[in-house]
Amino acid sequence: MNKILKAIDERLKLSELYEKYLSGYMVPGNLNFWYCLGSVLIVIFSIQIITGILLLMYYIPSVDKAFESVMYITNKVPFGWLIRRVHAVGANLFVLVLFFHMFSVLIMGSYKKPREIHWITGCLLFALVLVECLSGYLLPWSQLSYWATTVATNFPGAFPFIGDFLVYVIRGGEKVTQLTLGRFFSIHVSLIPFTIFILIAIHIFVIRRTGISFPPGTDETKVKKIPFFPHFVLEDLKVIYIFLAIMFLIVFFYPQFVLPRDALIPADPLSTPEHIKPEWYFLANYQFLKLIPNEFLGIFLQLIIAVIIFLLPFIDRTPERRIWKRPVFFGIVIFGIIFYVLLTIWGYIS
Amino acid sequence: MDKKMTRRKFLGKLVAGILGGTIALFTAPIAFYLLPKKEKKKLNIFVDPKGNPIPESSIKEGDYELGLSDEGPVIIVRREGVLYAFSAVCTHLGCIVKWIPSRNEFLCPCHAGRFDANGAVISGPPPAPLKRYKIEITSEGFIILS
Ligand code: HEM
Ligand code: FES
Repeated sequence: MNKILKAIDERLKLSELYEKYLSGYMVPGNLNFWYCLGSVLIVIFSIQIITGILLLMYYIPSVDKAFESVMYITNKVPFGWLIRRVHAVGANLFVLVLFFHMFSVLIMGSYKKPREIHWITGCLLFALVLVECLSGYLLPWSQLSYWATTVATNFPGAFPFIGDFLVYVIRGGEKVTQLTLGRFFSIHVSLIPFTIFILIAIHIFVIRRTGISFPPGTDETKVKKIPFFPHFVLEDLKVIYIFLAIMFLIVFFYPQFVLPRDALIPADPLSTPEHIKPEWYFLANYQFLKLIPNEFLGIFLQLIIAVIIFLLPFIDRTPERRIWKRPVFFGIVIFGIIFYVLLTIWGYIS
Repeated sequence: MDKKMTRRKFLGKLVAGILGGTIALFTAPIAFYLLPKKEKKKLNIFVDPKGNPIPESSIKEGDYELGLSDEGPVIIVRREGVLYAFSAVCTHLGCIVKWIPSRNEFLCPCHAGRFDANGAVISGPPPAPLKRYKIEITSEGFIILS
């Protein structure tokens, strides 16, 4: 065995790469908990890919068979329930950890020069993960899927002039039908995961090129550096296992968080269940739209906020990263988060 | 040297041109592939979810029937002998409305939009009245919407 490895190494010089990019890559020794969230996201993404491939083996993307095939996975396939629940809980955790990751980048000011591209690719990833969640939501063709998608795909209709056309293209027709299921299925299992993969690669490439940031307020010349592998990877693993524990806690004991009652009823285009609501991460946007009397204005305002967040590194150009030296920015962020959380709670109880 | 550079530049442009042209050529069919064709309108018959026509006689006085047309869910109500057909799709966000006989109005379960017996909005978020259909009865007693 060793001999084979040696022979390979002699030819490909892999140990050189290992020394250069893993054991010889030095990172600040005082990186905190928040710096591990990126690795958590990579792990969750991998889990989604693996469970997704497994689900694909039994899932049938047809309005007559989809719900049945999902029930078959849950009830008949050995450990099918486990795979399905992990995929559903993983999606929710993905969004949650993305929120935390973005929050830490905001607070630590790590989106500032020279890390603007990190932020831009990150925002694109965030948007894509949300689209991935939305498209995956339709696939079981349950009451929950069908009506949540009907309502969600109606919103673009509020755009003047092109609104109806947008809805038509997204749904592949006037209503949510097999045509919608077909396109959502296709983008959910191929286009979006592939794009996410490429973007993660770019995200990590630019992080390695600039090096990871020092925690704000530390003297870069005095901080001791540690090797990325194995020292920092071990730190990463600690946090990864914390999140895995949370994930399996929900998978085993609280699956109804992600699979409520309406998820267990097949889609019926002629009967809308009471109180349909979007997933928790869309509740704030949903409540916002309900509060603004003009639907287009509501969407337009949200788009403006999204563009501001996207372009943040070019709007906020001061080099100061320490949050206590940026009281106005800190105030806006805290206000924004409180506003968002309140809207979410309001959307949940109303 | 100079000459070689221009040759190189020319070839570079050529490659870019070929690739660009190829992409442009393929974009149009892909765009059309993604836009489904609108189907030619046939007779728009009121059917149940399995596609079987619903006979006019099955809707009793004061009762209503929920079914499908080519354009989606339709709700038909019989009041004082006359049939009234409306799109059952709420004009707010597309939920299916219900007929509440005791109040002579339609109610949308999603955000409590209310419509009167003529489909006009009484209260709630819906921005427009329910779409009304004209009704014709075929000799077999089936309902044609237009
Ligand atoms: C699929 C989603 C994502 C994955 C897998 C991912 C992964 C990573 C990884 C591994 C790191 C390095 C370690 C760390 O600080 O955690 C990182 C850093 C970073 N991420 Fe992400 N990320 C994702 C989404 C985002 C989003 C949504 C944003 C913000 C809009 C973002 C902005 C950044 C920035 C600015 C850094 C640099 C931090 C620094 O150097 O201190 N990322 N990301
Ligand atoms: S969808 Fe009918 S009131 Fe909102």
